[in-house]
Amino acid sequence: MTKEPEITPVGLKRMSDGQMVDAELWDGITDKNLADWEAKWTPELLRLLEALHDKGIERALWPQSRHWDWRAKTQAIEKRLDEQCFSIVCDNLTQAMMITELTKRARLESQRNEHLVYVSFVEAAPWNRRDILGKPPDYSGCGSILIRAAIEFSKLEGFKGRIGLHSLPQSNDFYANKVGMTDLGADEDYDNLRYFEMTPEQAEEFAKEGS
Amino acid sequence: MARKTMTLNLTDAEMAVLEELCEKKDLSKTVLMRQALRLYQRVEERLDMGGKLFFEDEASKEKSEIMML
Repeated sequence: MTKEPEITPVGLKRMSDGQMVDAELWDGITDKNLADWEAKWTPELLRLLEALHDKGIERALWPQSRHWDWRAKTQAIEKRLDEQCFSIVCDNLTQAMMITELTKRARLESQRNEHLVYVSFVEAAPWNRRDILGKPPDYSGCGSILIRAAIEFSKLEGFKGRIGLHSLPQSNDFYANKVGMTDLGADEDYDNLRYFEMTPEQAEEFAKEGS
Repeated sequence: MARKTMTLNLTDAEMAVLEELCEKKDLSKTVLMRQALRLYQRVEERLDMGGKLFFEDEASKEKSEIMML
């Protein structure tokens, strides 16, 4: 991808000293992000998986996103109008990436068939993943920033902040309790992953908490 | 994201449908037309790959194919 992304300043919490540090939200996934994924994320993830394996932790409990190929995913949607990518860069390194889709409809009864921004894929860099590190991450806040980006994108597109996503099991608690989305239960048409949705009112509540 | 402006000429009937859909979906005309373009692109992509477009009745699970011109 060659398009220069638009950059929005954001802040991440550096966990080593608890300080907020400057970061950038990019409205795209560029060659730089994909190079970071290949050269930095992938070796670190393999190292962490090896550690899980050595500890005897069963594969079912390893991060399900370990097979995600971000280069293939972004290439597949390069010219699509209904997909939008985002990334977070801090310390000259990609800290998280997200792909959203604009042609899905809401399932909640009160929002049924209304347009929403569907979060197809979201992943933080391995060094930011509390679930596999077994220690505090380097930076905290990537997930919340990307969810806020999806909400803002939804508002910009006229969808009033509505978003939806299927959650990997290790993230269910984050979406239900930290983000405050409605849990619509396991979706048998989507590998039984739980489907979560956010109403315009829930989006406002989440925005207030972060302000 | 940079945007470009264009003039769209519609018949009265087309404009009436556009306004009705905007009212129903609570969307602006620009947002609705952009959404329509996204859907058109996605449908074309799937048809080019040899796919068919169906609607499924949620209750009966009966499928009806949409004929694309």
